Amino acid sequence: MLILGIETSCDDTSAAVVEDGCRIISNVVSSQDDIHNRYGGIVPELASRRHMEMIVPVVREAMDRAGAGPGDISAVAVTHGPGLIGSLLVGVCFAKSLAFVHDLPLVAVNHLEGHIYSVFLEAAPEFPFIALVVSGGHTSIYIVKGFGMYTEVARTRDDAAGEAYDKVSKLLGSGYPGGPVIDKMARRGNPEAIAFPRAKLKKGRDFSFSGLKTAVLNYIRKHPESRKEDIAAGFQASVVEVLTDRVIEMAGLYGVNNITLSGGVSANSSLRRRMTERAAAKGMRVYLPSPHLCTDNAAMIAAAGYRCFIEGRFAGPALNPKACLPLGSGPRPD
Amino acid sequence: MKFQSKSEAETESIGRRLGKKLKRGDVVCLYGGLGSGKTTMARGIASALGISERDVTSASFTVIAEHDADIPFYHIDLYRISPHNVSELGLHEYLESDGICVIEWAGRAEGELPERIIRVSLRYTGEDCREIDITGIEL
Repeated sequence: MLILGIETSCDDTSAAVVEDGCRIISNVVSSQDDIHNRYGGIVPELASRRHMEMIVPVVREAMDRAGAGPGDISAVAVTHGPGLIGSLLVGVCFAKSLAFVHDLPLVAVNHLEGHIYSVFLEAAPEFPFIALVVSGGHTSIYIVKGFGMYTEVARTRDDAAGEAYDKVSKLLGSGYPGGPVIDKMARRGNPEAIAFPRAKLKKGRDFSFSGLKTAVLNYIRKHPESRKEDIAAGFQASVVEVLTDRVIEMAGLYGVNNITLSGGVSANSSLRRRMTERAAAKGMRVYLPSPHLCTDNAAMIAAAGYRCFIEGRFAGPALNPKACLPLGSGPRPD
Repeated sequence: MKFQSKSEAETESIGRRLGKKLKRGDVVCLYGGLGSGKTTMARGIASALGISERDVTSASFTVIAEHDADIPFYHIDLYRISPHNVSELGLHEYLESDGICVIEWAGRAEGELPERIIRVSLRYTGEDCREIDITGIEL
């Protein structure tokens, strides 16, 4: 069964055709980096305008590469939140129209659910598992007991991990996005040269990356001559340690042996290495998507959309995007 | 009015005190560098409006975060925006709404701001210490 996925939640216009929720037939991602780079980040108004220009050619290319026509598609899956409202609106309106015109079922996918299902495009982790979704806009840990059964067990209280990377990169006079820049710089630095605080809250399970960012700023103020590589390495060591420790701790707490990583920051080499090592020492297994599936893409939306289809979770023509759309509901188990 | 905050919790509490005095249509502009406590301040203001502190995270990524409450709360963060692009954001729609706007890095939108604003300047005075100066409202 072929599902057409559409993703426009942030600054990438993407469309994909995925078979049975696990085989990518085509996955087209049109990045807007060229527009937003000069502003050091995403400008929402420019992002939605570019989505408007790109949505038709991107969907057409995904269909062409898959050699599929509307008659070959079983459903249209689209991201309806969370994200930038103007960006989401373009994808949702387009998907609704396409479904209406071709009389296809419409499926609404939560972007974070999509990230979790990116893992299923290359592997088949067994439920239950602990899922870390970490990107420029999100940092949360979920326990996933089955499809559609998510409970958030920890999240950031302030900056997302990817955002902390961007801000520290700027403090070091380097470019955007900060993740790959810091990752590369950190390889030439000593992670033990500077002991930055760990980005945990004193109480509870949540993360706080804002204090770490401030600590880096204070350090640069006091030691303007210090090596940038060491600052990058020390900062990254703190982020990676906190994320890894918390994920392993949650897996232990819930008695779960499988762990998945997804979102842009899960492409970070140090996080991938350390998470895999720490998990292996505990007899746990880590599932890591390939780097191109860590960042936003429509294949993951089609993968999650397939499961929505199987469960009969359809959306109607009244579907509206939501900027704020938490994944999972109910009180946190403490 | 000037405050000396000695911790994040104190900054948040000063924000809560300010939040309780706000009315529909008010625009609060936050000034201060990276790590000066702007998001903490915004979180305090939001909590006075009945929004969970846990839901107010950094808005740098999305630039504008809309929160539903009895009075709509718009958390705007212009960190990524350069002053000559600020007109592209459509800020006036939020500034002229009947919600409450809190703007981080407000200095980048000087030409776009209404005449009457509540100005909050946060200054780093030591590792955990911040001087917070609030003008444009009686506390």
